[in-house]
Amino acid sequence: MAEEFNTESMLDMFLYESGQLLEKLEGIILEKQDADCFDDSDINEIFRVMHTIKGSSGVLMYENITKVTHKLEDVFYYLRESHPDDVPHMELVEKVLAVSDFVTGELDKLKNGDTPDGDEHQLVEDLDEFLGRLKGEIKKQGIQMPQANKHEEPKQFYITPVAGDDSHFYRISIHYRSDTQMSNIRAYSATYALKEVAEDLLYTPDDILSNEASGDVILAEGFHMLLQTKSSKEEVIALIDSSEAEEINFDELTKGEYGKALAEFGRESEITIDLGEEAKPEEKDAKKKEQPKPGDYVVKTKEAGKGKTLAKNQPKQQSIISVNVEKMDALMDLIGELVIAEAVVLQNPDLKVPGLELSNFQKASGQLSKITTELQEVIMSMRMMPLTNVFQKMKRIVFDVSRKLDKDIELEVIGENTEVDKNIIEHITDPLMHLVRNSVDHGIEENAEDRTTLGKPAKGKITLEAKNEGGKVYISVKDDGKGLNKEKLYQKAMEKGLIDNKLISEFTDKEIFRFITLPGFSTKEEVTEYSGRGVGMDVVVKNIQSIGGRLDIESVEFEGSEMTLIIPLTLAIINGIVVQVGKSPFVIETASIKEFVRVGEDSLIHEPSGEEYIVLRGECYPFIRLNERYDLADSISNVEEGIVVVLEHEGSQVCVLIDKLLQEQEIVVKPIPPYVKKVKGLSGCTQLGDGSIALILDIAGLLIQDGERR
Amino acid sequence: MAEELKNEEMEELLEEEDSQKGKFMTFQTGKEFFGISISYVNEIIAMQPIAAIPEVDDYIKGLINLRGKIIPVIDVRVRFKMEPSEYTDRTCIIVIDVNSTMIGLIVEKIAEVDTIADDSIVPPPSLGRKEHEHNKYVYGLARTGDAVKLLLDPEKLIRQDEIEAVMEDIRKED
Repeated sequence: MAEEFNTESMLDMFLYESGQLLEKLEGIILEKQDADCFDDSDINEIFRVMHTIKGSSGVLMYENITKVTHKLEDVFYYLRESHPDDVPHMELVEKVLAVSDFVTGELDKLKNGDTPDGDEHQLVEDLDEFLGRLKGEIKKQGIQMPQANKHEEPKQFYITPVAGDDSHFYRISIHYRSDTQMSNIRAYSATYALKEVAEDLLYTPDDILSNEASGDVILAEGFHMLLQTKSSKEEVIALIDSSEAEEINFDELTKGEYGKALAEFGRESEITIDLGEEAKPEEKDAKKKEQPKPGDYVVKTKEAGKGKTLAKNQPKQQSIISVNVEKMDALMDLIGELVIAEAVVLQNPDLKVPGLELSNFQKASGQLSKITTELQEVIMSMRMMPLTNVFQKMKRIVFDVSRKLDKDIELEVIGENTEVDKNIIEHITDPLMHLVRNSVDHGIEENAEDRTTLGKPAKGKITLEAKNEGGKVYISVKDDGKGLNKEKLYQKAMEKGLIDNKLISEFTDKEIFRFITLPGFSTKEEVTEYSGRGVGMDVVVKNIQSIGGRLDIESVEFEGSEMTLIIPLTLAIINGIVVQVGKSPFVIETASIKEFVRVGEDSLIHEPSGEEYIVLRGECYPFIRLNERYDLADSISNVEEGIVVVLEHEGSQVCVLIDKLLQEQEIVVKPIPPYVKKVKGLSGCTQLGDGSIALILDIAGLLIQDGERR
Repeated sequence: MAEELKNEEMEELLEEEDSQKGKFMTFQTGKEFFGISISYVNEIIAMQPIAAIPEVDDYIKGLINLRGKIIPVIDVRVRFKMEPSEYTDRTCIIVIDVNSTMIGLIVEKIAEVDTIADDSIVPPPSLGRKEHEHNKYVYGLARTGDAVKLLLDPEKLIRQDEIEAVMEDIRKED
């Protein structure tokens, strides 16, 4: 076990867990930001979060994190125990957020491999001062102060409280080696082993199974047990697994001493045992609850230290395990392979021999196909994550920015449970953050009076909405602010020379709104801390385009604006049509295909420069011969023999000549290896059913390239 | 796929020696014998269908599907500015892994795995000619038996500078 120990995995675990806890924490805080106070369960939860982070950061010796979280824990301990009235709620919220930010910052440093060296003094002092004030107020009200928070509040449960005359009493302290993993599980197996002979068994820390952090406490302070048993000392020692223990202290106690020790352990009901009385019913209940089941026992003693044991005993976390993304990707690749291998088997040319009796084979292969399809669906669903966390971040941004700018803004969140591919979530967080910041900063009016004179409520409102429609995810940020002024946008774009010299009337509303996504465009005169550097919206649009999405802008002046991100549900699988040009197969995304047409030579327009256009129903489209563009041999160059595909991307169309259509299928997009330099007009590659590789056409790239050529 | 000479077989060989040092996979292209340090070699596979990519250097033949992994292949002959030859059943693809970039090398004929001592490797004589350029991926000459083998530096062979340029492009686009 000791050899397996490595700080990296512990660090990973710490980062992951703390990250999750902090997210949860922010969730609670922001949910209650407008309330007057936290209720008991919130206080308990925050307390628990701080306690856990404190514990684990302490083990990893990140002192500043430990100190800060400990202070905040103190504050909440006080709140929990004293229930003071008149808590300045907003200030408390700010304090918690400050701590959360501090820890997040330190975690980020750790993630980047730096040392967490943030200075905690200011924060600790602030918290001290805050706590002092809270207590001061209480004093004035003459309420008794609770005792200062101890690191551990030992609580024990006990096992069989029947003391006979021939009972022996022992105090056993086990100190594990400092590099022992899962010491809590080890401790647990010790208690379980002793339980067989124990009449009474009491141990601290008592939450060894439910609280993973208890392992750290055990490592630091040792694991202490009080045992009442009929067995002799030797028998008891034999029962304890000493493999990882550094030191086992074994003291035999008298009955009286045992009673005292029990008191030290802090059990209220120890006297009852001392007198040899029956356990109280509720204690029996406690015992029942916590007692391991026989089935667990085997697993624990033999495999103590394995992750699954832990999961088994932690009902709260049982339903979720965290898996390395690389493993998921590997699994996904393998399943992709499996699907292809399946196609190779089922469409094997050997099966095409006439006269073969294949009905059993067909039955079996049908079953196989069903399973592989299901498997594919499952792995896809595994990659889907709700937008909850992203939206949570947005809540925080609205909170921060609106306070900073002194705007009264309410945020409404709709559909945060919408699920999106994990890759996409990573890509949309930043753009979305930008949009939300923009809405708060530029969207909502500076002064509440400006709003009230327009008949709007003084409180600004931003709506964050996500929905899933037709294979796309729509995420919109809507504000009821001043909206976009078309005249202003036009003037600005002209000034900056971002657009051609055209009259404002020549642009549609949407085109004008789209000016704000041009690089170098920013209508805000003054650059603020949050937005307005003019590098915003174009980056947003770029990021969104890189995952195959787009940004839609709607606005009515004085009524508000709505920015909608329209993104694909998943990056990894697209619905495509496989076409052939020469010998090479290509894939075109189905969504971008408008139609397939066969045209006659007479609808072609040849320009003297060599460019060609196609006239379809009176409309003129640019025409690309894929075989010429990509130099593909053995292909059809006569328009009448080939097929013309009309493609559309963001409002512009292009016609592409191909040889023939092969099939429509779901394809798994894979990147072209970076060694091969990027080819314009190709966005990736994929494997077809027969294992061969097809290149995926990138319509946007084709259009750009076409534009450059002309 | 069945005729794959898997890395494992080579590994067995290597385990006996307990080192990959001084071991070279040698292959014949044209009249010359080339050697490539075995530590770069992942596996050797039979020739298989290659999906051509348009608008790339002519020595990049395209992409192959190696058990679900898509890797580019380059024709060593074309890379060495020799006349391309027909692919025969002796034609193989050596899959090499250079700094985590997997690349297939199409070679006419696999020769053998040779042990070449460090002291029998001499740097290629430099005549200071400009046309010498295409030889830069040959870092040493080794005499084994009566043949001279040209030892290749795979990192230069796949042109690291090019990769970096591409990476740079990608970064810019992001």
